[in-house]
Amino acid sequence: MTGEERPPTPPARPASPVLPAGLRDRVVVAAMRARAAGRPDPLPEQIAPDEAFTRAADAFHRLLRGLPDADWARPALRDLDVQGLVGHLTGVEEDVQRCLAGDPAVAAADHVASTQAAAVRQAGRRPAETRAEWRLAADRTIELARACDLGAEVAVHGMRIPVSLLLIVRAFELWVHDNDIRQAAALPSSVPDPATLSLMTEVAARLLPRAAAMTGADEPTSLHLVLTGPGGGTWDVPIGTCGEGGAGGEGGAGGEGGAGGEGGEETAEPADVVIVSDAVDFCRLVANRATPAGLDLHITGDAKRAAAVLAAAPVLALD
Amino acid sequence: MLTAGLLEEGPAARVVADHCRPAYDRVSLQRVGDSDVLLAARLGAGDDRALSEAFDRLGPAVYAGALRVLGDAAAAQDVVQDVFVELWSHPGRYDPGAGPLRAYLVLLARHRAVDLVRSELRRVARQENSYRLVPRLPDPTPLDEAMVSEAAAAVRAAVQRLPAGQRQMVELAYFGGLTCREAAKAAGIPEGTAKSRLRLALAKLETLLDREFLESS
Repeated sequence: MTGEERPPTPPARPASPVLPAGLRDRVVVAAMRARAAGRPDPLPEQIAPDEAFTRAADAFHRLLRGLPDADWARPALRDLDVQGLVGHLTGVEEDVQRCLAGDPAVAAADHVASTQAAAVRQAGRRPAETRAEWRLAADRTIELARACDLGAEVAVHGMRIPVSLLLIVRAFELWVHDNDIRQAAALPSSVPDPATLSLMTEVAARLLPRAAAMTGADEPTSLHLVLTGPGGGTWDVPIGTCGEGGAGGEGGAGGEGGAGGEGGEETAEPADVVIVSDAVDFCRLVANRATPAGLDLHITGDAKRAAAVLAAAPVLALD
Repeated sequence: MLTAGLLEEGPAARVVADHCRPAYDRVSLQRVGDSDVLLAARLGAGDDRALSEAFDRLGPAVYAGALRVLGDAAAAQDVVQDVFVELWSHPGRYDPGAGPLRAYLVLLARHRAVDLVRSELRRVARQENSYRLVPRLPDPTPLDEAMVSEAAAAVRAAVQRLPAGQRQMVELAYFGGLTCREAAKAAGIPEGTAKSRLRLALAKLETLLDREFLESS
């Protein structure tokens, strides 16, 4: 072959015919009729918030029961060892119980400072004693919450939220600390069951506008958030002045049909930013247990705005 | 713990925000890839944009696959709709580990198209007085004719593989345009025998054509 000869070109794929006009719209309309946008498949089991908290508490208890005594002394979080961290959670349960009972003193209490005494008092105790105290406290929380109107607003640790949402937030916290302890004890990380995770991702998606506002990342942005895997979903989240009141649109597992669901029309405006993440990874990010750089994120749109949203995601996390 | 974005306004909220502000301020971003794994995951998450992307990327190939078997644009569009509604309704049925999404969808389209052909064969077989293998079509375009030729060639090849008696009946009834009674008379056999041979021939043709179209996918 001389230098001027071209290498043989691979056989070309036969040209496909041009699609008939209107077929795309017709297909999208039929598809959205069959399954609403935003709705994950398979749809996870639908559970109530108190059930999510109960499952998280049971999973946490199983972890503690299997933990050798030596691991309870391992450093876990801040200046707390594992035993102190479990004590912190007992303190949280005590504050939550006070809030459910209507005690205003815990409304503005600091999440860490207010529970420090419960963490410190574990020193010198047997792990089984600490575990039993926490389990009783968690059971008491479930008992009190089930006696409440789940829609009633309560205030604790700077939050004013319905009891139902508080229970999901607490399930989230138990899972996060479950993994703090696993990391301290060199155990493999855990993943919530899809039903519980679905409630967690819903909360995580809907808090993004507020988190962005708190960090000043409130440039009007239309975020199309896709959380993949069991417990995931898809949400259209207005950030900044382009929308108020949290995530709307497609709404994940519990949401209504969204973009493309009516008449097969295109979404009115393309999202400024599309973020695709594994659902569990995103929860870790929101809980301040992972950084965007450490996750397998897929992003289209304005990279700067996407970075601002991702940096804001963990701002509402409490330890 | 997560505050769910519903912190009360005031000092406590600001303290929380300051305390928990992440230490990093730069993030590493990747562009969305178009890998089938990612697309499948997005479909599973209910991302309608993923469906649109899949259609834009693979719709023409799916349409071409259906048109090649059916030779009819309207029927091929129905198949395209069925295929993408199936993908959207049951995204978990596609396993990226088993092969590319393109191959999965084109194969699905061919299966649906072959099902349509088989249904049409059965329908025609029920019409004793108007046996026709290929239904009368409105004026075909050159593209239609090109697409039909592939299906027609497959049918002709399948007919050649029939036993002589059955082949004769198909040639007289379908290609010759005779009614069953006329075909029986032309072959010098009783009408009942002619019908029986035609039924057997149609059943065999269905199997042969099914195999032919599936193997070509």
